[in-house]
Amino acid sequence: MEQQGRPIAQGTGRGNTVIRVYPDRLEFVSGWQGQNATSVGLKQVVEVTIRGVVNCTLAVEINDGRRVEVDRMALPDARRIKSAIERQKETAGLYE
Amino acid sequence: MRKYVLLTFVALLLIAAVPGLALAQEEAPPSIEEVVLAIDTTYVFLAALLVLFMQAGFAMLEVGFSRMKNVGSVVAKILANMGIGLVAFWAVGFAFTFSDGGGLNAIIGTQGFFTNPGGDVDATFAGLSWTAVPLSAKFLFQVAFALVSLAIVWGTMLERTKFAVYCIFAVVFAGLIYPIVGHWIWGGGWLAELGMLDFAGSTVVHLSGAMAALAGTLLLGPRIGKYDDEGNPQTIPGHNMPLAVLGVLILWIGWWGFNSGSTMMAVGQTFADIALTTNLAAGAGVLGAMAMSYAYRRNVDVGMTANGAIAALVAITAACAFVDPWASIVIGFIAGVIMYSTLVFVDKIGVDDPLGAIAAHGMGGIWGTLSCGLFATPALLETTGYGVAPGLFYGGGFAQLGVQALGIVVCGGFVFLTSYGVFAILKATIGLRVKPDEEFDGLDISEHGVYGYSEQLVATDYQNGNGSIPDPDRRTAEGTV
Repeated sequence: MEQQGRPIAQGTGRGNTVIRVYPDRLEFVSGWQGQNATSVGLKQVVEVTIRGVVNCTLAVEINDGRRVEVDRMALPDARRIKSAIERQKETAGLYE
Repeated sequence: MRKYVLLTFVALLLIAAVPGLALAQEEAPPSIEEVVLAIDTTYVFLAALLVLFMQAGFAMLEVGFSRMKNVGSVVAKILANMGIGLVAFWAVGFAFTFSDGGGLNAIIGTQGFFTNPGGDVDATFAGLSWTAVPLSAKFLFQVAFALVSLAIVWGTMLERTKFAVYCIFAVVFAGLIYPIVGHWIWGGGWLAELGMLDFAGSTVVHLSGAMAALAGTLLLGPRIGKYDDEGNPQTIPGHNMPLAVLGVLILWIGWWGFNSGSTMMAVGQTFADIALTTNLAAGAGVLGAMAMSYAYRRNVDVGMTANGAIAALVAITAACAFVDPWASIVIGFIAGVIMYSTLVFVDKIGVDDPLGAIAAHGMGGIWGTLSCGLFATPALLETTGYGVAPGLFYGGGFAQLGVQALGIVVCGGFVFLTSYGVFAILKATIGLRVKPDEEFDGLDISEHGVYGYSEQLVATDYQNGNGSIPDPDRRTAEGTV
């Protein structure tokens, strides 16, 4: 997995799933030594929602129909990830 | 010349001896009671030192089981917890545990906050009035126990927890959660009234610590890389087994003070017998864990063998004063076996416990507390002054076993639920774990700004500052560049 700089926001959920927000994309990394990595461009992200307070679930809806849910996250981490994604999209003027 | 030196030396000796002679003439010889009190106090003082030294054992054990990038955070956490735990237990914890609670005495003590060794301390701290040693000695001994319980909590949460979480939870645990359980069993609370046996704290100290650890670990989640995508556990080996074993040996020696010192008096007590049962159990625990390790994986795992000793020491903690030597060997051996089985089970269900604290202190504590209801002999119960029924194997029936089981369920459940609540609040507000990148880099650098092993992780011998290897042939007026 190749990284470009440090992520803007990041968090860990169930099963060692790590979510990282970069200026242009979102990465989901899981598995032993991060062998499974999925990258989603921020342009493709439709909506980010948070459900719950303690073991909260972060749901990312993507415009190809997928919906990625990461549960057992800490609320502050999930909030940081959500706000980072929304801020980046606003900055890029992607909200029509 | 030599004669003058000798004369001067003799003169100085005489001058030094004169005040002592004068005092000896003025003071009456100490009474037997005063001598007994002095011996008891010295004994409790030494036991407190041994128990406090167990913090060094926990530090070495946790350092050995951690990766190099996290060792600095481990020792920083131990130091911070000692500081916070000492002050919190002095301010409120000791009073909650041992003071007379009046109408609330079944639940909690309500007097003697900000512990002060003045006044009628026996009336205020009724839970400890059975020993005559000064209140300061009682406090120092008991606070060392609270610190041990607190240290157990963090063994499972190594290598991924925010430093602030350690500090905040330490206040609540040492100031409230541990003291409430302590009062129930040791301070004259409702479990003491029922006659629950827990001589040195298999439940109060070890099960409490392990239940809080379980609550925290469930909310914290495993270390990154501990499980693959199918949920299979992966081994993340500690970086230094000799240090881990040194830690266990320090703990083992510390247990001499932990169990034997719990008589809190030396004269007329069977503390040597208690030391014997304690050490026999530890030896048997090593054998039990070795046997399990060989049966399970055809080799002897050093870390798990060490945990076998700890599990056995935990188990014998409740029963050390009530059982015969042969029973202590049975208790220790079974503790080693239970510890190994629990460790494998806990690993498989997704609870990442780097140290094995849930297995060693949790299951060891449960087994040890139950073993009082099985192996306690009538003679030793009478010697130690506990007027309860002997164990099941000595014709006592199931009554005592039932009380022991009730104590385990209630105390374990109480600590788990309250700790879960505190950790849940922390998770929803500040978060429990560090960021993934910080976890990869190691907590030493992200939480404390410096590595525990700087020279292994940072190239400190590159003096020219750009990371290149210096050319030995290039010289300046100041020497080699």
